[in-house]
This record gives sequence, C-alpha cells and structure tokens, in this order.
Amino acid sequence: MGRQILGRVISLIPILFGVSIVVFLLVRLIPGDPVVALLGMEATPEAIAALRTRYALDESWFVQYFVWITNILGGDFGRSIQSGRDVLSLLTMSLLPTLWLALAATVISLAIAIPMGVIAATRRDTGADAAASLLSLFGLSMPSFWIGVLLILLFSIQLPILPASGYVAPSTNFGLFLWHLILPAITLGTALAAAVMRMTRSAMLEVLQSDYVRTARAKGLPWRKVIWTHAFGNAQIPIITLIGLQFGQVLGGVVITETIFSWPGIGKLTVDAIFARDYPVVQGAILVTAALFVLINLITDIIYTLVDPRMRPS
Amino acid sequence: MTEVTISPVATGSSTRFTRLVSSPRAILGGALVTLAVVSAIFAPVLTPYGPNETNFLAVLQAPSLAHPFGTDELGRDILTRVLFGARVSLLVGLGSVLASLIIGGLIGAIAGYLSGWADTIIMRLMDVIFAFPGVLLALAITAVLGPSLGNAILAIAVVNLPVFARIARAQTMVVRSLDFVEAKRALGFGGWNILFRTILPNIAAPMLVQGSLLFAAAIITESYLSFLGLGAQPPTATWGNMLRDAIGFLELAPWMAWFSGFAIFLTVLGFNVVGDALRDFYDPRTA
Repeated sequence: MGRQILGRVISLIPILFGVSIVVFLLVRLIPGDPVVALLGMEATPEAIAALRTRYALDESWFVQYFVWITNILGGDFGRSIQSGRDVLSLLTMSLLPTLWLALAATVISLAIAIPMGVIAATRRDTGADAAASLLSLFGLSMPSFWIGVLLILLFSIQLPILPASGYVAPSTNFGLFLWHLILPAITLGTALAAAVMRMTRSAMLEVLQSDYVRTARAKGLPWRKVIWTHAFGNAQIPIITLIGLQFGQVLGGVVITETIFSWPGIGKLTVDAIFARDYPVVQGAILVTAALFVLINLITDIIYTLVDPRMRPS
Repeated sequence: MTEVTISPVATGSSTRFTRLVSSPRAILGGALVTLAVVSAIFAPVLTPYGPNETNFLAVLQAPSLAHPFGTDELGRDILTRVLFGARVSLLVGLGSVLASLIIGGLIGAIAGYLSGWADTIIMRLMDVIFAFPGVLLALAITAVLGPSLGNAILAIAVVNLPVFARIARAQTMVVRSLDFVEAKRALGFGGWNILFRTILPNIAAPMLVQGSLLFAAAIITESYLSFLGLGAQPPTATWGNMLRDAIGFLELAPWMAWFSGFAIFLTVLGFNVVGDALRDFYDPRTA
C-alpha cells in the first residue's frame, strides 16, 4: 500500500514540472520585455539591471527557467509590482480564506447532494426522483456568478439579512466569519452539489441492483440499514472520486465567487493582479493554485485506494 | 467533466433514435437551443433597437411594453442586448469546441494509433493542461494574450483540448484492433490512410456527444471571462459583461441582472439536456 501511494506521489513530479514550465512561459509570452512585465513601466534602470541579473534574463530560456524554479523552490516568488510586498506572503495570506470558502462550499454541497441523490435512487421514477434530477440539471446549468448575484439581490438587498461582501477572519470573530461565509459558500457549492447529486444517484442505482443488496434485503435487514450501510458504503467510491475532482474545480470557481463577494482569497488576488498587470503575483497565484489542484487530485487518489479494497495490491 | 464511451449502435437504433428525438427532454433541449440560435441569427429583425443604441431619456427603466426587459444605465434596451449577446456566446461555444474537437481529436487519435513513446509524450502534455483548473487556465491565457473575443475562443479551446484528446485516444485504441481495421492493414493501406479514413470516422460519434456537453461548459466559461472583463470588449453585448454592468445597479435596477443570467441559464440548460440525451442514445448504460 505504502509503495502504491509512493508511486502515485512520484508520478506527480513530471506533471508539476510541466505545470511550472507553463507558468514560467506565461510571462515570457507577454508581448514586450519580460522585465517591464515583472517590474512595471516605471522601473528604474538600476532595478531593471538587478532583475536581469537576478533572473538571468540575458541567458537562454533554459537557464532562466532553472534560476526561476530554484528561486521558487527556495520560497522566493518575487515582489508584487503594485504593493512591493513579497509575493509569497500575499499568497499565504489569501490561501486561508480560499480554503475556508472551498471547504464550506464542499460541506454545503454534500449536505444537500448526498441525501437527495440517495432519495432519488431509492425512489427511482417517482416525483421525488424527477424533482431531484431536474434540480441537479438546473444547478449544473446556472452560472455561479448569476446565482451569487441573485442571492445578493434576495438576501442582501430585498431582505437585508446577510452581508453582500467582505470577510472577517475566524480568529477575530467566528460568528461574523460564518455570517459572511454563507452567501459565497452557497454560490460556490451549488454547481458542486448538482454534480455530486447526479453521481450519487447513478452510483446508488448501480449498487441497488447488485446481488449483495438483494441478499441483504432477503435476509430481512431493515431497509435503512441496507441503504446506508450496504448500498451507500459501496456507492461512495465513485462519489469520492468526483468530490475530489470537483473540489479541484472549486479552486477555479473561487475566482468568480471571490470577485463577486470581495472575498480576499487567492481567486480575487489573481483577478486583481491580472488587471493591475502585476505579473509576479499572477504567476505565483496560478502556480500555487495549480499545485493545490494537483495535490487534491493526489489525495483523492489515495483516499480512493484506501476506501476501495479492490485497488489495494494483493 | 463527464467522459463519453460508446457501445456499438446495433439493431433497433432507428427505433431508439425515434424515441430519442420524440422524448420530452430532447424536445425541451432542442427548443432551448433553437431559441438561442434563432435569437442570434435574427437579432437585428427581432428588435427595433440597436444593441449599442443609447437613450439618455430612458435610463434604468423597469420592464415595460416599450422595453420588455427594461433598460440599462445608458438607456440601452436590455432585450436587444440579450438577443445580440446570444451571437457572442454561440460563436465562442462553436469556435472553441470545433477547434478543440478537431485538434484534440487528431492529437488523441495519433497518440492512440501510434502508442509507445509518442503516446506517452502526447498524453503527458495533455495531463499538464489538465492539471490546471479550467477557468483559471482560460483566465491566465486571456490575461497574457489580452482581452478579446478571439483570445477567449483560443483560451477555452486550449482548456478543452485534453478532454477530446483523451476520448479520441481511448476510442482509437478500441477501434484500431477491430477486424475491419486489421483487414485494411492486411490489404496494405498505410497508417495515415487508416487513421484518417477508417479510425476518425468511427470515433466521431462520442466526440460529437462530448462536444455538445462542452458547448454548454464553453458558454459558461465565456460568460465568466466576459464578466471579469477578459472576453469580448465593450460596447459589444455579451451576457457576461451585461451581468458585470448590472452589479453596480442591483438596488436601483435589479432587472439588469435577471435577464442576461437567465439567457445563459436557458442556453446552457438546452445544450446540457441535448448532450445528456445524445449520450444516453450512444451509451444506453448511462440512461
């Protein structure tokens, strides 16, 4: 088992290497001088010369990449053009709000999607099934920013009971933190809930037709126990895979949700940096988000291996 | 993202096809897609206003007979802009899906047909693209290339490339070992001939099904890019930039936010329903 997990970790190295090359090339593909991209238009000749030396910009792209990745691995992501602050500190500051938001969205979506998916499957072809399927189709088809805007219209403007924007750190005031988290988390969780509900329904339908469920029912076990212990226990394998993949997609979705709700996470940091043409921050934010995405997929893989005995080496 | 596999469509396919096109969901999906296409094509004749025609005497007006969806902060008719916005959404959907289907399909088919090192290198490159969250990659590409409609199409096409490549590769690996391909090989046909004339036509169906599902995703991604100001630039009407404009007027003119979002929702719903119906037609196991 340990060897299998180690194998998966090692297989990520070429992917992360490829990701780093793409992120490195992003700034090099911007029309014009990368020094201007990295320092801004108002850089002094001294600063330009220092940056050229620091990132070996007069050398070949191969050398430049080597210098850049060595700096990144040493925690040097450069400095923000806009604020002059260390990019790594900006990234670490914004990572936590994003993780809170992604986690809350995932919890909300699972709380809605799993009971709905199980009910839809156990009551196949009934009104409940049709309603659940229709809701999931609606959830998949609604752009998250529209959901966000509608929620703001309803809960922040018509019935002003929830804040439309802002963030309070949980360490400052946990109640206010949750209060500000509700609308962005629902916005982000809706599409995830729709996808998980669909997967739960189809995985449960498949399991409910299996021999062991039939046997469990024939033995006279209570229906609730058959559903939650025998059927759902086995249906959760594809569901876990999907949740892992979707959690990764949530990291992409935060870009929009954080922009609407002024949530100071990595998504908002990326968008603000794009508009400020603050390329060191753009580069760092994209690299960190992609690395997180890859890491989450790895964790999903490992959980999958732990949950499904068939995946373990004999 | 759902990947599609197909079982050979054997006997009874015409009956199933009749059932497909007459099913309520296919009719609903088809009607919604048709509505979007008709809006896009006939936008200039469906409304008396121009999409960028301002009227400062009719600023932020609520829905009325003269302006059924109301007007925006520049007095532009929102219904008109929603109709014209369909053009951008469908153009980006069609352009990006076609580009990624053709290029990704070819890349995947070549990888699956050649196998070995070529396959490993091509698919690892696709894995690298897949390692980025889609919206973020599209955002990064448009940020680097500059905001425009063409760059939005390119960015979304790049994001979808690995999806088509993976499906094409998997299907090619199945088809290349079938008897009729072996027979062509035995008759002395070259590799490229077999790839283009035999394999590609036989893997087209699942690619098209996936295309219809990704069309919906492409419309949503385009609206995200436009919403963030990285898609087609003002004054071009897009559903995404209309919603962005609406945010500043939520208290004064909430209708500005209703209709463009609803247009995205209905169109995406249409493509999702059609895609689902097609997938069930080609792969009855998922029904």
